[in-house]
Formats: sequence, C-alpha cells, structure tokens
Amino acid sequence: MEKSDLKHLYWRLGFGISPAQLEEYKQLSREKVVDLAFAKAQSLQSLSIDLSPFEILREKGVRQKMTTDAFRSLRQKGRQMTRDLNYMWLQQLSLPEAGLREKMTLFWTNVFVCRDNMVWNTLWYNNMLREHALGNLRDFLKAMARQPAMLNYLNTNKNVKSSPNENFVRELMELFTLGIGNYTEKDVQEGARAFTGWSSNRQAQFIIRDRQHDDGEKTFLGKTGNWNGDDIIDIILEQKACARFICKKIYRYFVNPQADEVRLQELTDFFYLHYDIEKLMRYIFNSDWFYDAQHKGVKIKSPIELLAGIQKVVPTVFNKEKQLFYLQKMMGQVLFYPPNVAGWKGDRSWIDANTLVLRMNLASTMLNNMQIEFQEQAAFEDDFEDFYRAKKKRKTHLKVTVNWELFEQNYRNQTVQELKDILIATTLDVDTARFIDELPATDKRNRCVQLMSLPEYQMC
Amino acid sequence: MQRRDFLKRSALASSAIMIPSFMRAFENAPASISGFKKLVVIQLSGGNDGLNTIVPYRNDIYYSSRPQIAIPENKILKATDDLGFNKHLAPLKELYDKGYLSIINNVGYPNPNRSHFRSTDIWHSASDATQYLESGWLGRYIEKVGTQSHLGIEVDENLSMILKGENRNGIATQNAALFRRNMEQPFFSEVLHQKTDTHLSEHNLGYLYKTMLAAKSSARYLHEKTRVYESKQEYPNNPFAKQLKTTAQFINSGVETQVYYVSMGGFDTHVNQQNSQGKLLATYSNAMSSFIKDLEKNDTFKDTLVMTFSEFGRRVAQNASNGTDHGTANQVYIMGGNLKKAGFYNPAANLSQLDDNGDMKFEIDFRTVYATILDRWMDVDDATVLNKEFSKLDFV
Repeated sequence: MEKSDLKHLYWRLGFGISPAQLEEYKQLSREKVVDLAFAKAQSLQSLSIDLSPFEILREKGVRQKMTTDAFRSLRQKGRQMTRDLNYMWLQQLSLPEAGLREKMTLFWTNVFVCRDNMVWNTLWYNNMLREHALGNLRDFLKAMARQPAMLNYLNTNKNVKSSPNENFVRELMELFTLGIGNYTEKDVQEGARAFTGWSSNRQAQFIIRDRQHDDGEKTFLGKTGNWNGDDIIDIILEQKACARFICKKIYRYFVNPQADEVRLQELTDFFYLHYDIEKLMRYIFNSDWFYDAQHKGVKIKSPIELLAGIQKVVPTVFNKEKQLFYLQKMMGQVLFYPPNVAGWKGDRSWIDANTLVLRMNLASTMLNNMQIEFQEQAAFEDDFEDFYRAKKKRKTHLKVTVNWELFEQNYRNQTVQELKDILIATTLDVDTARFIDELPATDKRNRCVQLMSLPEYQMC
Repeated sequence: MQRRDFLKRSALASSAIMIPSFMRAFENAPASISGFKKLVVIQLSGGNDGLNTIVPYRNDIYYSSRPQIAIPENKILKATDDLGFNKHLAPLKELYDKGYLSIINNVGYPNPNRSHFRSTDIWHSASDATQYLESGWLGRYIEKVGTQSHLGIEVDENLSMILKGENRNGIATQNAALFRRNMEQPFFSEVLHQKTDTHLSEHNLGYLYKTMLAAKSSARYLHEKTRVYESKQEYPNNPFAKQLKTTAQFINSGVETQVYYVSMGGFDTHVNQQNSQGKLLATYSNAMSSFIKDLEKNDTFKDTLVMTFSEFGRRVAQNASNGTDHGTANQVYIMGGNLKKAGFYNPAANLSQLDDNGDMKFEIDFRTVYATILDRWMDVDDATVLNKEFSKLDFV
C-alpha cells in the first residue's frame, strides 16, 4: 500500500501511524491492511473503575440513613471519578494499539450524545458505545435507549402514560437517526407514548413499568399498532432517511467534512441493507475513492485527536491529571462533557484565534517545557470568587514526563528531514517544506516539535 | 529570486510585502462599518434572581413564596408604586434616575430550558429552544458588517459562542499587548510567510491560515490603537470591574470594534442567596457606574448601548436552602444616553399567572430585544442576523 494512503487510512481509523506500522504495511495489499485493522478492532478494552464506594446508594431509604455531609462527599467523589474516567479514556486513546474500535467509540459519543452526573452511568454508557461501535445499528439503538444514563439524560424515566415526555423520542429522531424534516410533531407525540414506562430501578437496571406504559394503539411514521419502544426503533430503521442520516455523519467524520451527494447515496444504499456498521466501514476503507487526494488531510483534528496524536508519537504522561483536563477545556472538547445533546460541532468550530494559538503551541508546551498561560474555564455553579479565581491566569509549566527515548527508538530509521513525511498528514507545500528543511541544524526531537507547531499538523 | 531567499536578504522587509496578494487584500480590507455605534453585552452568568433584584414590594405572592428570602419593603430603593431596586443597587438606581436605564421585564422564550449550558446557547445563538445553531448572533453580526476579527471582542481568554460567526469569529482578549505577543511568535510569523495563494484557498487548511493572519492583524491593530490610552476613571478592585475597564479602554481609544461581550459569574444562588446575591449586585452596579462615568468623560457614552441579560431567571418560590432554583423569564437591562423609553419598559411579571411548573411565563421574546438593537441602534437588517423576522420594541 502507498505510504500516503496508509497515513490517510490510519489517521481516519485511528490516531496516526507509527514508523513500524508504515514499514510493515507498505508491503501489503489494501484489503490485507484493512483486514488487519478490523481484526485488531475485535478486541474490546472496556474502561473499568472501582464503583464499590457507591454500592450503598442501591440500598433502600439510603437518603434517610445517610447524613447530608456523607451524601455530599459521595457526590463529590463521583464527580472526581468522572474526571478520573476522562483521564483514563484519553490515556487509552493515546496508546499505540488504540485503533478503529476506540475511534468509532469516540465517533459515537458525538452521535448518541449523553451526559450524566453519576460516574457509574457514564462508565456503562461509554462501554456500551464501545461494545456496539462496529455492530448492528438496530441492536445499538435498542441498547442505547435502555441505558440508565440515557433514560436520565433525555427524561425517558419521566415518560409515563398519564403525562408523556417527548424529550427522548424527539432527539432520537432529530439528532440520533432521522434528522429534521423526516417526521412530524404527531410522530413525536405517538412515539413518546410507545416509550412510556421505560425506566431504571435502584440497581440502575433497565425496567419497563407496566402500569406506566401506554399499550394503546399508536400511529407512528404511518404505521398503526400497539407499538412499544423497540417497535419505534424498528420503524425508524425502515426509513431510508435513517441510513442516510448515519452515513452522512460517518462520511463527514471519516472521509471529508464536506459531504458528497453521489458517495452519500452509494453508502446509504449499502448500509440500508443490513445496518451493519462494520460492513459499512470496511466498504469505505476498501473503496478507491476513499484514497482520493481531495480527502487527504482535509479534516481539522478535534482537540482529542490532536492530544492523542501527539502522545502517540511522543509518549507523555501527565503527572497532574487536572492539567490535561484544563487543556481539553481550553480547546473546547472534554471527554464525557458534551456541551449539549447536539454534541460538539466539530470541524471549523474548533478553531478561533485563541484556540488555534493554543493548539499550535501544544507540542512546545507538552514536549518542550514551554510555559503555558493556564486559565481554567469557570463553571456556572461557581460563586463570584471561584468564578474569577478559576479565570485567573497562571503562567505555569505542564507537569509531564516525556518519553523521548521511546520516540527516538521508534523513529530511529527516519532522518530529521524524513520526519515531516510521516508526521504531517497533508502534503506540505513547496515553500513550507523548504522553510522547514532550512531551519537551523536541529535534532529529531526539535524537528518533531517544529512540525507539530505547523498549521498543517492541525489537519488529518 | 525565491521568496524565501528574498526574506533572508531583506531584513527590513515589511510584512506587508511578504504576504501574498490574496492575503494582503484580506488583511487590510477596511471594515465597512455601519456607523460608530457600539454595543456592550453583559451576561450575569449562572442565572440572576430577577425577583430579588427588582423587587415587587407590594406583591403578596412574592412575599408568601419566599418567606425567608423576600426583601422587606423598608430595605428597598423604591422606584415606582410597586417596584424597587435591591438596596445593593444604589448606583444602578442613580442611572435609572438619570434616565440612562430601561428595564424590560419578563423576557424569555417558549419552552424554556433550565440548563445553564443549553439556555446560554439559546441566548447566544438566538435560536429557538428546539434548534441547535452553530453560531452566535454577535458573531453573525460582525460577519455581516466587515471582515476584521476585532469587530467583536470578548473581554476574556476564551471565545464564547455568542461571538462565533458562520465563517469567521470575533476574538477573546483582556490584554491587547499580550494578545499581540501570542500572535506574533517568531516561528508562527515565519510559517505564515511561506504560504502561497493556492494553498490559502484550500478549504480547511486555508481557514487556519486565514484565522492566524486575521488574528495577527487584529492583535497589532488593537495594541497600536490602545497602547497610549490611559483611563483616568477609578474602578472598584475586582475582576468584573477590570473587564469593564478594559472594555472602556478599547472604546475610548477609538478602536473600530463594534460589539463587546463580558460575562460576570456567580449568580447561581441555590443556597443562602441573600448575602451572596447582595454582594454580586453591588459588584455589578458599582462597576457599571464607573464604566458609564468613564464613557461619559470621554464622550463615548452617546454612541454606546449596554445590554445585560441572564440565561434564565430563578423560580418564584424559594427552596429549602434559602436559595432559589433555575427558573424562566427574567429582566433585561438596557443602558444608554439616548433611550426612547427609560425606566420600566413594561409592567413586572404577573405572579398570579404562572406556568404549570410554577414559573413565570415570558412576555417578550429575547430576540425582539436583539432585533430592536440591531435595527434601531446598529442599523443593520436584523432578519439577516437573526435568520427570522421579529417585531421591534421601542426602548431605543
């Protein structure tokens, strides 16, 4: 396989390619390389944390038994652990072996967007996304609709026969499967009735409360019957608009932020047959057009792609997890904290003057010990003092341990000049390439940081 | 001669010579400014409790809903027969007495959202509650009137949605010198000089280069315009007052920025709110008073309109912790020297007619306030900024 094709493939299905992979795969055919990537994606690295401190909450009447302080400190612990989870996942995304499954999981977090204050719900939801990331969309949607985090987030657990709550079914259609214009307000109302009674119990297990469920006849997207929630998902999947909606998201994320009508139609027809996500992704990565020059390096890396990509090249450990959290905040993408149910807007919305300068300085700050002006973003819940204390800028260094030795080991066969061919996803224009080549004699480490400071490094 | 060689030989080459023609046009394009009107938008972030800010001191429902935290009649700066200012708002009351303040009651939107994030998004983007827009109304405004990033400034370090346009954004800065230093790092400057016209037209990569160049040019402009100006006005010593001082510095030194956004935090008063809200209101009104004096001294107040909003008001009834929870409609404060209707623009909320949730029903869509400002003050076609026609009010 061509080097530039490999770079492209690996930036889209993962977070960049290593020299060893490049060396190995360039001997192989495209089909073989794609097969290998999917073979690796079979393994499932679920996130795991110790939830035992929260067992107590499953007991009946626990709020009466616990003091307010004890309850508050447990909540505090939960919040801290969500941050631990954030760190844990970001580390996992930065590992050399992080590939298609993790990338797909990251993708789905921004399709089936969900946010929960309870760390165990957040954990289970993320692991559910990972499990179904390459599975069948039908199973995926049904599992997603049953997750305690989702039942909370879009108020399904408040959706009862006497007073239907439309929140979930509205977003299910508008933001998760069909898009506006493919259903009516009446469909929202009828669909909400089908999900009445869906809830979770104290053990945070999915249950259907029969007495709250409306088992009357509903007419949804033109079909009449005693539909329940699963039926609604099945009827949604009958709509070709659903296949198209998901394919458009996938195309814009994995191929090109500007959708192409012809390709979209081609993908939609294919995906509609079985709703098999793995087959769809194989189809894309095996298509000739996926490797067209017009698709290479045209995506603006998300902050997470940027962070994971740098760490993949130069393994880095953040000794203060908090700093990694603030970096995400300052760049506008914090794992597990989507801004709203529509998710991160992505593409150009990552970029303004302030974030761009931060992003271009990121490698120097992380790897070269350059000072960073840290400003935490204040929270709505902060009082005046905390709000501005958080906003106060602190000039500081990142407390990181940089494993340059491993970098040098991995890149031992590349010359200083060759580094740009592997680190930059786009083709550098002639002038920029010459500018880089003519920079004063420099070692590989410095060249690596210089390359990562180019606007071109922001692209993948 | 190669461009690169040329750069090496001519140490004094001005950056303008080095920048490709395509970008030069972009960098130096004059802003087609529609006048010299300025707008300063202030958000009381967290959701200010409007009912304890402008108090309906003759309303029984108000007192019975808030047995511990209602403000007694004798602690109010009375303004009308039924409304008065929280006593911590004396400076604001002065502005009111001078006819510099218009209070619009009951501003909100249909299907109110009680999440700080979502409701802030709605106010920033001027969307419906069911609509997810990607840009802010001030961002779309500056895109419409010019090409420069510095037409809109958030006096902060991070840019909020309100100043993000569809293709271009405003900038966030609290310090023009520092902003310039960040934008003019030697490595970046060198990189920017390498670009050929063809690459700059490239879709996303070109966007990055254009963003950098625009920011660099704005940073230089702002720094050069403001470096000599020194404010003679005293401001209280707190971060919010400092943000306003910086804003006044920009305005008074004659920069062409048209819209400013400042966010003041701390208003999420779920617990023991009387003390904390009192302090916040004092901080807000003292800083506003200094700010307006500063503008008046420099004769820029006549061209400046200030709008203050909160992403939502709070519930009518207090909670069990002597605080209030997230509610719905709220007041908007407009300050200016030439208000058409100063004082109370409309009557206060009718507390006997609440929604099913026991919250206030909005009467004025916040976007009619925006539309009025855009149309009557900024003199642009408001519908092209708000993507929809809204009726106009009569406060300016």
